[in-house]
Amino acid sequence: MSSVVPDRVVLDPRFAPPFPQAALPVLRNPQLRKNVAHAIDVIQGKRGKLVAEKTDWQALRTAASAIRSHALENLGAYLEQFEERCTAAGGIVHWAADAGEARSIILDLVRHENANEVIKIKTMTSAEIQLNPFLEANGVNVFETDLAEIILQLGEEEPSHIVVPALHVNRSQVREIFARRMGLKNLSDDPKELTNAARTYLRQKFLTIPTAIGGANSLIAETGSVAVVESEGNGRMCLTLPRTLITLAGIEKVIPRFQDLEVILQLLARSATGERMNPYTSLWTGVMPGDGPQEFHVVLLDNGRSSILAKPKQRQTLKCIRCAACMNACPVYRQTGGHAYGSVYPGPIGAILTPQLMNMEHAQSLPFASSLCGACYEVCPVKINIPEVLLELRSQVVNQERRQAGRIFDPLYLGLRIANFLFAGAGRFHAAQGLGRIGARLFTRKDGWIHSLPSVGAKWTQTRDLRGLPPQNFHEWWAARRKEAK
Amino acid sequence: MNTSSRQSILERVRSATETAAPARIAEAYAALPRDYLRQGAMTREACLDLMIERLREYDAEVVETSPEQLLAAIRAQLETSGKRIFAAPEGLPSEWLIPGLDWKVDRGLTTAEIEAAEGVVTAAFCGIADSGTIALHHSPAEGRRVLTLLPDWHLCILRASQVVETLPEYFSRCPKPPALATYISGPSATADIEMTRIKGVHGPRFLHVLLVHDESIFKVAIRQGVDSKSARSTVSDGLPALPGTPDEL
Repeated sequence: MSSVVPDRVVLDPRFAPPFPQAALPVLRNPQLRKNVAHAIDVIQGKRGKLVAEKTDWQALRTAASAIRSHALENLGAYLEQFEERCTAAGGIVHWAADAGEARSIILDLVRHENANEVIKIKTMTSAEIQLNPFLEANGVNVFETDLAEIILQLGEEEPSHIVVPALHVNRSQVREIFARRMGLKNLSDDPKELTNAARTYLRQKFLTIPTAIGGANSLIAETGSVAVVESEGNGRMCLTLPRTLITLAGIEKVIPRFQDLEVILQLLARSATGERMNPYTSLWTGVMPGDGPQEFHVVLLDNGRSSILAKPKQRQTLKCIRCAACMNACPVYRQTGGHAYGSVYPGPIGAILTPQLMNMEHAQSLPFASSLCGACYEVCPVKINIPEVLLELRSQVVNQERRQAGRIFDPLYLGLRIANFLFAGAGRFHAAQGLGRIGARLFTRKDGWIHSLPSVGAKWTQTRDLRGLPPQNFHEWWAARRKEAK
Repeated sequence: MNTSSRQSILERVRSATETAAPARIAEAYAALPRDYLRQGAMTREACLDLMIERLREYDAEVVETSPEQLLAAIRAQLETSGKRIFAAPEGLPSEWLIPGLDWKVDRGLTTAEIEAAEGVVTAAFCGIADSGTIALHHSPAEGRRVLTLLPDWHLCILRASQVVETLPEYFSRCPKPPALATYISGPSATADIEMTRIKGVHGPRFLHVLLVHDESIFKVAIRQGVDSKSARSTVSDGLPALPGTPDEL
């Protein structure tokens, strides 16, 4: 089978290679880079226009940030309120401490239904807990219903973006996947025809499969309601037609009141897809007699979230409403695409969320996959200071590494310790500078640039040149000038 | 249910945060900054024009009509649709069921019967001009959720007095949170293949909106220079009262 991405993509942070290594296949694949850059340019262009027309954009961001922070600060109370109201409305609330528990709760529910097939709404949380392979391994056929998810599922691809997960796949690749897997030999690569193929492929499944699994954009504590935003109507199909609906949601998804949606909904679609509003937003409360699923389960997932909550500087990570604006704005993501992050959560938010969900035991290279330019913070609709969290996580990773045996002789750490000593005193610093100038002369070419350095210095010069040191530095120039003045 | 996970998660959450008394939480919530635009500043006419413009940007077809012309407008929409079998919510005013067509009134229709309908006619709860959104609260005149989902063609009858300018204005029109709601902003769409917007994936591919100008007194009031706020309370209504409309609130 021909995969869009030649090298095997691993989105399990426990087994994924470090970011710089995982990024290489993409950097060497011009088609993939073109697909990613095109998609991002389109979204960014649309987003920019729609954000500019909103005169109260910053006030909305401030409100959303405050609402999300407040919900997190009082998460225990709001979770219990949600549980109480949802239960009163006929829903059944389950609590899952980790991915494994969530998977087995969901499998039990599916088995209780005697279901061997389920339809699914796109939910990154289910990808986080690797639900599909688990259900498949237990004899349950899973049918993804979001167009991008169908492309990935049928093409055996991995998601590379949290809003448009198949943005790395172009139309001719989609045509190839659909033609092969749906048995449609004469399919063209016209997106309209491809979309129609998906519509036909899924229609009978929507009408006949009685069990659906989905996620939540917001859980509303005040009412026990759940809100899902989507574009295609596959969400509405899954939320309306089946007999049983299972919603998997992270515990951080809770918002205090229904009215808080007036803020979140104004920010979410503009940030995510560059639309004033997504085509469909669904809101429901427990079980509604005569309308929609008559059995409704919510699985509230912790899976590392409560320990993120416990760290004041890092807590803001949980404010995320999964709009993906940060990855669309990120100069690193633009070059590498999503697979390099080795996680279902790529981009800047993935770089801070993934290692934290892994309790800092995996994905330690991700906090370094950033230029700290701050574009992610600027576009974030809930004002997550991603660079601040990146720096905090970097320091934790460095402290971890320092504790490892053998680090004492590592040239990088040795160099930094020497630098630390030299920078601590002016005399030492000036002496080192003088020596450095003599040393640098050895590597400076005629054009005044250093093109390659030995040892750890090569880490800098392998991707960029370094300007040679000038014969006189500022201190010397200043001292000479003062002498002349006298 | 595994009660020990419930307990351990809540314990971890509580020990990670300061546990405040409910009154304190309510106080903190009330103090959250909300300096965004709540009330729009447009005239009613500009607001309705914006609603129409936004809907048309979504490729929805919009036809304006008056309360007197409503039935004729519904008939014209249905006749030009090329469809014959229409689903209707149980609470839809019976005079809207134009004779001569095959009507499936939802008194417990099966999914297969709804799927067999080629179109559907419903009322709405609210229109939001800023984003061209139609909010359904699934009252008896708006129908069950499945009714506006399976048929490929949706004719939605929206009264001008139901149209607000901003999203927060819609929320202030909800006396209490709805248990069920669907917000529709144009026909279903996807941009999953190379960000090319394709209209119509699984939901209705065709959205038609009949905008009924029921604010006649209001419009006259504007032209006579009456303060718009006092005029708003005198909005009259040429239509028979519909379930699920703001009049009932």
